[in-house]
Amino acid sequence: MDQLTRLMPDEMVSVREVFNLDSDLKVAAFREADEHVPEVDPAYRFNHDVTLAILAAFTRNRRMLLQGLHGTGKSTHIEQVAARLNWPCVRVNLDGHINRLDLVGRDTVVLKDGKQITEFQEGIVPWAIQRPVALILDEYDAGRPDVMFVIQRLLERDGKMTLLDQNRVLDLHPGFRLFATANTVGLGNLNGMYHGVQRLNHAQIDRWNIVAALNHPPAEDEIGIVLARVPELDDAAGRKLVASMVAVAKLTRDGFRVGDLSTLMSPRTVITWAENIGIFGDAGKAFQLSFVNKCDEAEQPLIAEYFQRCFDRELEAPRTSVYLPAEPHPAAAFAVAAG
Amino acid sequence: MASLAEQTEQAETERAEASSRQLAAASLRRRKQTLELCAAAMRALSGQGRLHFRGPALYRESAPVPMPAPHLHPGTDSTDLDAFRGAADGMALRLQHSDAALHGSLCPVTPARMLVFEMLEQFRTESLVDAAMPGVRANLNRRFQQWSREFEASILADTDLGIILFTVAQVCRARITAEPMSPDFEARIESTRAELAPHLGTHLAALRRERFSQPGFARHALSIAETIAAISEVLEAREARPSRSGGRAPQFQLLFDQDSNDDAVPTAGYGGSDALDSGEGGYRRFTTAYDREFQATDLVRAELLCGYRQQLDDHIARQGINVPRLGRALGAVLSTAIHDGWDGDALEGRLDGSRLARLVTASGDRRVFRTERTEPRSDATVTFLVDCSGSMKEHSAAVAALVDVYARALELAGARCEVLGFTTAAWNGGRAGKDWIRAGRPPNPGRLNEVRQLVFKDADTPWRRARPAIAGLMKKDLFREGADGEAVDWACARLSGSSGNGGRGSNGSERRILLVVSDGSPMDGATALANDGHYLEQHLRDVVAAHEAAGTTEIFGLGVGLDLSPYYRRNISLDLSRGSSAAVVGQVLAMLAGRR
Repeated sequence: MDQLTRLMPDEMVSVREVFNLDSDLKVAAFREADEHVPEVDPAYRFNHDVTLAILAAFTRNRRMLLQGLHGTGKSTHIEQVAARLNWPCVRVNLDGHINRLDLVGRDTVVLKDGKQITEFQEGIVPWAIQRPVALILDEYDAGRPDVMFVIQRLLERDGKMTLLDQNRVLDLHPGFRLFATANTVGLGNLNGMYHGVQRLNHAQIDRWNIVAALNHPPAEDEIGIVLARVPELDDAAGRKLVASMVAVAKLTRDGFRVGDLSTLMSPRTVITWAENIGIFGDAGKAFQLSFVNKCDEAEQPLIAEYFQRCFDRELEAPRTSVYLPAEPHPAAAFAVAAG
Repeated sequence: MASLAEQTEQAETERAEASSRQLAAASLRRRKQTLELCAAAMRALSGQGRLHFRGPALYRESAPVPMPAPHLHPGTDSTDLDAFRGAADGMALRLQHSDAALHGSLCPVTPARMLVFEMLEQFRTESLVDAAMPGVRANLNRRFQQWSREFEASILADTDLGIILFTVAQVCRARITAEPMSPDFEARIESTRAELAPHLGTHLAALRRERFSQPGFARHALSIAETIAAISEVLEAREARPSRSGGRAPQFQLLFDQDSNDDAVPTAGYGGSDALDSGEGGYRRFTTAYDREFQATDLVRAELLCGYRQQLDDHIARQGINVPRLGRALGAVLSTAIHDGWDGDALEGRLDGSRLARLVTASGDRRVFRTERTEPRSDATVTFLVDCSGSMKEHSAAVAALVDVYARALELAGARCEVLGFTTAAWNGGRAGKDWIRAGRPPNPGRLNEVRQLVFKDADTPWRRARPAIAGLMKKDLFREGADGEAVDWACARLSGSSGNGGRGSNGSERRILLVVSDGSPMDGATALANDGHYLEQHLRDVVAAHEAAGTTEIFGLGVGLDLSPYYRRNISLDLSRGSSAAVVGQVLAMLAGRR
């Protein structure tokens, strides 16, 4: 229980220095890191608005929901802020199979001194709320309704948590912070891209103090992110290449928005593509293997068009398409004669 | 022997005709595919949805989007992807970077000024292409070079005015986009350029500088347009008609407006109808006294139907179409998930009372819940509306086969299917036409013919019972003329069951789909003569647009060797010259499965 002795953050750091953002804010941080503090990624690039929102959530104890399309780095963003504040941080993935007992804890049979006894084992939630820990609930909108109501009490800043099986009431630690990330804002799977997400109870959404959106970064930022991840491309030719890759990604996102595509390139895919260029030595080949093959066959000719626009060469691929009819059936030749 | 030679010759001719029809259909399909790809790329580039091509003209939903710059209109006979790419990219940039309202307010009205101003504005937007998209830049350049070569090869380039316009286009584009001018043209325009230089110099320099600001740019562009127009007026006054030199391309269009596009490929005709616009109360029927609705079995003798059915079955068997597979595919396309019963023994879900005892008898077993089961079920009605006009005669067997295969597959998929047809009872107006003549030929009488609506299979008759009636589609003497708009209205009304319970319609279906099989524009000789040539076309377009806007019915056009895009937003063209092959069936399926 040594963490319980570290009650609260013990120093103030300048946002300008630590996060390289244009702001005079000072935020609370811990002087020393412990085992739960994530690793600092020096290449990480912070989004200005979202970073300020996350810092507000840390410093002013606000509950924060971060929404955005897949692969935009929502959880990583919170983690990297926590890493620089030395704030311990735990991530829980709320997939459809996590149930209430997993979060709260349950009675289990254990051996103690050679005898079988039942003992209550705390779940992640009681553990986290008694410590100065930032709990990140990933895939918040995929969580099942019964799980949501466990969380509901935690969302109130001065809420207490009752363990019914134990007749215990737990106070929230003042250093406890709660974050969630989601692909949708609780409206459900509207565009068919996120199967398994739930429509959220509005009483839930209402209790989040800050709701921020992290979507695809502007092109210059995205180029920076990719170059930071794949530094071997960081020369004049490489920059040009990455700019074109990001332009393709943007076209897929616009194509998705207007309804031509059912898949879009996330920044994560762009990074994978850049890494695969190192392996296969050719942008077209790597594109085929990192993104095109994930798409519906009927949409591949269109993606090849996007590629042509940004690279001024054709994407060499088997361009099978539903628009082109298959070879006529051999028996079809008889039809004319008979008709 | 002579007859044998004659026969061989005839067979040869028929084969040649069939293969040329096939080639034309294939090239039409390739062209449509190219245009569709370009439109999709354009939607992504400009970030604006709902853009599509009708023929080669750009539309947003059902409103035309004017693209007057001359180099954005590649020749209609080219199926070359490059030409369309450049044009589509140019249009996308124009949509993205140019404010249409502002442009409209600035644009001059006389043709010469307008031409120059439109061209310069287009060059401005083309210069704003994203540096990360070298492909777009290359496409634009290729298209412009191609246009320049066509211009140079045309007789226009031999006139003084033509060469001035050509020079302005070359010099300004090179200046604005900072792309080097093609050396082939440099020599040709050298002297004209030197003459023009003192008039344009200052503005020319400002163009590139101001290219990020539309109003700033327009100031200089307007001055240039004014200068060119003044020169051209002087020239016109002084010069006689341009001399025609042999071997030059005779036609070269400079100013484009959407309606005047000559189109060499078979695109269904379209144009406005003055009679329909000016007539009070919109579309009219002169008399409906002779209009009849028939069951196909009433019109064709049972023995004849039996014979047709035999032919149809043979035809379908030869094509080797896998109907059960088509049924499964249609099931996947048309289904929606519905709740159907419960799955027990689950670890989560709703509490299942009948399993509660398990908690006591088997401790640790928590499988006491049940979850709702969802099953896909097709909840759709699909209507085939077959155009039974004279020109469809030669395709009647293929259409009957296509419709029959789909009727059976839809039934397997659990959807409802109707097969309808429309034609007229007589040629040239029939009794309605005679009545009109007797009434003293009043102007704008509206539709003049005896409309016949044919029901081959209604939604409640199972395919097995409707088999002979569907074969009635093969009776060629039913095929006369047709008024498509009224037929579409009729089919939509049947689909929504407006005669029945109202609300969601008597058939209560979730999806209502209408497939119109047609090979041409609506054609009725008497109506066209008494009103004007586009009367029925315009009505068809209005009807389809109204139903699409209402959103209750999805309407698809299946063109038989014809591009139906002027009428139907969702359309494909089919090649039925070899009958209804598996490829044709697959094309229709792909269209139904299409997301847009």
